[in-house]
Formats: sequence, structure tokens, C-alpha cells
Amino acid sequence: MAEVVLKGVGKCYGPVVAVRDFNLAIADQEFVALVGPSGCGKSTTLRMVAGLEEITSGVVAIGGRVVNDLPPKDRDIAMVFQNYALYQHMSVRDNLAFGLRNRKVPESEIAAQILRAAKMLGIEPLLERHPRQLSGGQQQRVALGRCLVRNPKVFLFDEPLSNLDAQLRSQMRLELKELRKRVPTTSIYVTHDQVEAMTLGERIVVMKDGLVQQVGSPLDLYRRPANRFVAGFIGSPAMNFIDARVAAAGDDVMIATEGLSLRLTDKVAATLRKHAGNAVVMGVRPQHVMLDGAGGGNLLRFQATLSTSEQLGDQQLLDARLGGTLLRVSGIDAALKLADGTMLTLAMAPENMHFFDAVSGAALG
Amino acid sequence: MTAASLELVPPPRKGFFAALAPGGVKVLFALLAVGIAFLFAFPVLWLVLTSLRPPSGVYFVHRGTEFTFHNYAEALAQPNMLRAFFNSFAISTLATVLSLGVTVTSGYMLSRFRGPVPNAWFSVIYVLRCVPYISWVLPLFFVTRQMGIFDTYWGLLLPHVAVHICFFSWIMKGFFDGIDPSMEYAALIDGCTRWGAFFRVALPSAVPGLTALAILCWLYTWNEFLFALMLTSHKTPILTVVMAQFVHELGMEWHLMSATALMALVPALIVTVFGQKYVIRGLRV
Repeated sequence: MAEVVLKGVGKCYGPVVAVRDFNLAIADQEFVALVGPSGCGKSTTLRMVAGLEEITSGVVAIGGRVVNDLPPKDRDIAMVFQNYALYQHMSVRDNLAFGLRNRKVPESEIAAQILRAAKMLGIEPLLERHPRQLSGGQQQRVALGRCLVRNPKVFLFDEPLSNLDAQLRSQMRLELKELRKRVPTTSIYVTHDQVEAMTLGERIVVMKDGLVQQVGSPLDLYRRPANRFVAGFIGSPAMNFIDARVAAAGDDVMIATEGLSLRLTDKVAATLRKHAGNAVVMGVRPQHVMLDGAGGGNLLRFQATLSTSEQLGDQQLLDARLGGTLLRVSGIDAALKLADGTMLTLAMAPENMHFFDAVSGAALG
Repeated sequence: MTAASLELVPPPRKGFFAALAPGGVKVLFALLAVGIAFLFAFPVLWLVLTSLRPPSGVYFVHRGTEFTFHNYAEALAQPNMLRAFFNSFAISTLATVLSLGVTVTSGYMLSRFRGPVPNAWFSVIYVLRCVPYISWVLPLFFVTRQMGIFDTYWGLLLPHVAVHICFFSWIMKGFFDGIDPSMEYAALIDGCTRWGAFFRVALPSAVPGLTALAILCWLYTWNEFLFALMLTSHKTPILTVVMAQFVHELGMEWHLMSATALMALVPALIVTVFGQKYVIRGLRV
């Protein structure tokens, strides 16, 4: 059990900068997810904490001790890899025992630890098998077991579920959550899947091009994305973005784009007033656009042409054409029959609208 | 509207083999395979027959019915023959052990590390590999003389090891490239040093490749003639050289040469039969 602190951490490969000025303090027993597209530096950051990559600049501390120059074996961490990284030439039991034997733990205690971890993960019947005789899910359980037996200060996960099929992935996600309740060790979890980050992480760090974009709780990121990238990355289906222009006429603040002109209400109007005359990007999540929003007086209504609809069984996804952009709408009643080309009346609540600077992408307000 | 017909009609057979009966193509290829196999086996068969004929019969192997094992006894009775067998065996084994010791670490470095040292090493073995094998012989002759190791074990071992390192580091690199490095990362985190991760995790995973290389290396040294001819003399007789000495100014003793060659084939055959599957895997890289 320990807190992990990264202060101004950076990594360069020659002239290529992989991670830039990464600052994060992870509390004891906290579960932090690093998420971002491939090549954003999240794995590199994790590997710097693990000691598998040298730290170019900054400081990494685990449990109050600076570990920059410590080899991985002395950092008291455990890591789960995307491709399991089990020792192929050893049985499952020896895989689990490997780390403990290296630390000269007495055999009787090793046996006890293995039994405890195996019971927790349900891999007792597999202990005498070899990794190649196991399925992907079983291999990943063994890899988790290898971490559990060691009782390390920190767990590091490097895309542990990426090699599993979709069904198994969601099942393992639940199991990880269950496991977490029983073994509340400080954890850093790297993934490119925002669903995994949202469901597992107590706090999420969104990264892009080696830079931290936003740090916050899952709900924070969803409700108040710091910039256009985070807004588009978190949430599924992805947020709609519409290029628009702010105009102020007397007391009214209008947001206008091709085929749409909306009068904004008090709170949103106040924040946007100072951007009058500027180009902005308006963002709204597909879940927050409603069809024929009858109720609610403060809903903003507008017209759009149905381009395509996708039937998912429990709901429909609509693609509506609004001027030059396609607007995605989700959560539409599956039984509703809509012909392509129909003119739809859509509505959204002002509090669900997000505005970003057209150039920097930073959230306005 | 009637239901769509689901009856499937096989398309008419087309192409070069269409005229053959359905199983005919298989038979044709089997015959072809047998033919090719025979092409390779024929010289060995001829060798066996020659080794069993009396000296007068070697040019009429296909005729005559006289067979004898006397050639084997006579070949083994040649001065130096038993020593040549022993020397060849010892040199092949030592060269294999020594060169693998270096090749494994050098291949691992080439596969896992970047930087000036691996790059320089890569260039060195690349350039040396490009030098025609035969052009090494003369310089090596002078060098071994100068060093006073001409016609000794070391005088033949060191050149062999040098050649093996250049040739096999590449294959070894390929083997390590095929092994997932995250296994070694896991070992580092599990308490191993870099060397520990290499010896306890990477090396055991490379055993199939290592076995293949060991076999190739051993066979190569066992069969090698040019270095043996140029770098050894009477003190260190080598099998391939001794065998060639059956061709001399008084004539060619094919029967003795065949008998020796066949005996020399036995260890190679054993190694090949037992290591075949590893060699095939090794060559695939």
C-alpha cells in the first residue's frame, strides 16, 4: 500500500517526445486509469513507473521514496501485460511462485500464497498446467495471480483486457472490479478503451500526444470535458460537434450554424456573451438530443433531415443532416418507423450543450 | 413465387489436370515426390554399394555380385583414421559449444538493445559475412602460423567459431525477435536482474532455436573441408582431410573412401534424425 507521485515526468526518444510534463498524485488505494489513443504516451508513462523505461526528466516516487534510479525489482510493484507475458516454459504454479522464490520467501509460505490467489481467481484446477494449454481469459487470470501473490505496493495494468474477445472482456472487467474490493491496492490501469476507463477508474487521466488533457472522476470527464478531445473521446457514441458562430443582439445571445439558429438562455448566454462574433464548436452527446421533445419549456428545438437510421433492437441510432454536418441521435424508440429523408424536429436542453474554442479546442465557460 | 433452388451443381473441372481421374493429381504429385527423393538418395545409394565392393569392382558397381565388408576394416586400419574421427568429433563439439555461447548473447543483444555498441557489432558481422568464405583461408593460415597455433585444436577451433558467430548471430537474433519481450519485463519486475531475465526466461524460451543452431553448427563443422585442409597437418588429422587423401598419386581408392564417407555419415545421420524437427523450425526463421 502506497501512494504514487509523478512530478514533471517526461520521456524523450532522441528528438521524439513521448511524454511531456506529467504531474499526478495517486492516493493510497486509489485506482487511476490512463486512457488515450494509441501513441499518446500512456503506456510509456506506466513503464516509467515500472522502471522498464528510463525517466528523461522529472521524479517518480512510490510510497514516499524516489524510484527514478531503482531497477524494477526493487520498486515493489507488480504488472499485468496485454499479452499476459507468462513464462511459457513453467507451469502455472511455478509462474506464480517465480517472484516469491526470487525474494527467498520460504516454500511453505509460497504454497499458502499461491493457494490464496488461486482460490480468489478460480484457477486452482489449472495450477499444474502450462500457459500454452490455457485460454486467453485463463492466462490473464494467471497473470493477475502472479501479481496477487506478491502483495506489492502498486499494481500496474498495461491494457490487460485488450487481447480478449468482447464478451470475455466485459466479464473480466467485472471480475477486476470484484477483485478490487478484496485487494484494494493502489493501481494504475492503462487502456485505450474509454468504457474500461470509465467503469474501473476512480479517477481518469486522459492523454493525447504525450500531454495530459484532463484528470478527473468518470462523471467529471463526462459532464465537464476540459476540451474538445476529451469530449469526443469519453462517451459512446461519440459527442456530436457542430461548427457554429456566436452572435449577440441586444440581450439575446444567439448560436448560429447552417440550418440552425438558437437563442441561448441565461446561464449559457452569460458564458458565451464574451465570445460574441467568434467561431465556436458546439458539442452535444447523442443521448442528449431528443426527438420531438414535447415536454420541458426550456428545450431548444430545431429541424433536421433523417439521413440514415440504425436498428439496434433495444433502440435506434439516427443520423440527421443539419446543414453540412451529420448529427447523431441515440436512444430512439426501436418500434418507431422512420423513413429516410423525413424532416425531424429535434430538441436539446441548454445545460447539455458544450462549447469549445474553434482553434484551441478548450472548453468555453 | 417458388422457393429458390438449393441444389448445388459442382462446376465443371477445368485446367491442365482436368483429364485425369479425380485422385489422379495426387498420384501424379506422389510420383513426382518419389522421383525427387530418388534423385537425392541415389548418390548415397551408390556410395553404399561402392563401399561394399572389392577394389576391382568399384567401377562396375551396377554389375557383379561380389560383396565384402573388408573395406571398412581396411579404412579403419589406416594410420590416423581413428584419431581423425576423434579430432573431428572433438572439434565439432567444442566449436558448437563455444560459438553458441557467444552467438546466444550476441543474438540477444542484436534483438533487444539499440545503441552504438549493438550497431557497431551488427556492422562488423554484416561486413564479415559478406567476405567470401574462401578468402579467409589464406590470411588465417598465416595468422595461425604466426600465433603458433597452426595444426592444433585452437588453430582450427578459433576460425570456425569466428565464422559461426558471424553466420549464426543473425539466426539467433531472429529467434529472440520471435520471443515476446514482455516475458522478460515481467521477470524484471518479479525480482530478476537483466542477466537473470535473460538466463531464466529468455534463454529457456529459445531452446528450440538453440537446438537447431547447435545441430547446424555441429554438422557444418563436421563436414567442413577447406579450413581443415589449410589449417591442419599431420599433428591434427581431421576426418574430411584424411578421407580426401585416398585420392593420391598412385591412384584413387574409391572403395576405402566410400567406406570412410559412410562411417562419417553415421553421426551426422543420428544428429539429423533426432534434431530434424528443431532444424526445420530453425530454418523457418
